[in-house]
Amino acid sequence: MTPVQITIEDIAGAASGKIVKLIRVVGQLDESNVDEQAKAIYQVVEANPSGLSLIFDFMGLEYMNSKSIGYLTDWYSKVSALGGKVAIAGARDNILDILQVVGLTQLVNAYPTLDEAKAAVL
Amino acid sequence: MDQKSMPQSAPLTGEIKVVQKDVPLDERPIEIKIIIPTQAYFLSGIRDFVVNLTKNLTGFSMQWAFRFQAVVDELCNNAIEHGSKSGAVVGVTLISTKGKSLEVIVEDTGTGNVKINAEDLTKLYKEKRGNVGAQYLGFRGRGLPKIVGEWTDELIFENITGGGIRVRAKKYLRKEEAIVSSLSVSNPIHLTV
Repeated sequence: MTPVQITIEDIAGAASGKIVKLIRVVGQLDESNVDEQAKAIYQVVEANPSGLSLIFDFMGLEYMNSKSIGYLTDWYSKVSALGGKVAIAGARDNILDILQVVGLTQLVNAYPTLDEAKAAVL
Repeated sequence: MDQKSMPQSAPLTGEIKVVQKDVPLDERPIEIKIIIPTQAYFLSGIRDFVVNLTKNLTGFSMQWAFRFQAVVDELCNNAIEHGSKSGAVVGVTLISTKGKSLEVIVEDTGTGNVKINAEDLTKLYKEKRGNVGAQYLGFRGRGLPKIVGEWTDELIFENITGGGIRVRAKKYLRKEEAIVSSLSVSNPIHLTV
């Protein structure tokens, strides 16, 4: 399995009734690992049916395949349907490039830094 | 996956050929063929190899090295998921003509869970190219029409005699895609607040 590490933590400072989770991805998301890794994020989405927003810290993400983008789109659909926001922070050029070619950057905003993503979501 | 669970019957094999002996050595196409078992485990190594090959042997920029990495990964994923059964193999051939083009050919054995011929796959691809737009919210279906389709100049599906599909994806090197070109510092899709 290709090495990847996903950590999930709360971001303090969200308005009352809002929950903002920071999902940090380090390594490569590909066919060998993405189904397994996605489970933890689905647990977060399902455990917080309302008021949830997600910030994906992609500073350490080296590669993502089309299935990973499919998962990201699904989380965006679920979170935004309940009024939440999804943002991407610090993605490398090759990650932004692949997100752009599939059109995801028209749905999910990407910010150069985590602070800027927080400012947009909180 | 640990070493013990790696397939023993279908090891990673390959060959390197320099073709067209009648042209100067540094202008001859280099053909590299790799045979991989139908396990996604092996794809990270293929991706690293494609980036290094594209960066060092083709004349394409780093941006295109990463793009071609994704193209090869998506084609191999499709072959492993749909075209060759577990325990079978997938063939990956890279043909680099420095300063001119880079081509990848991915071949499956036709033993996988999807039985489709090249004509129907071509039709399906064209349909998906029209359907998968920027606002597409589906879970699957971006790899071939968007990543492979957008980042290659030629995409041809062929039937292999005896079974299987051969996909040929070729990218020609244009001036703006050469080594000097790269993503700009002020990438327009990065937002600032």
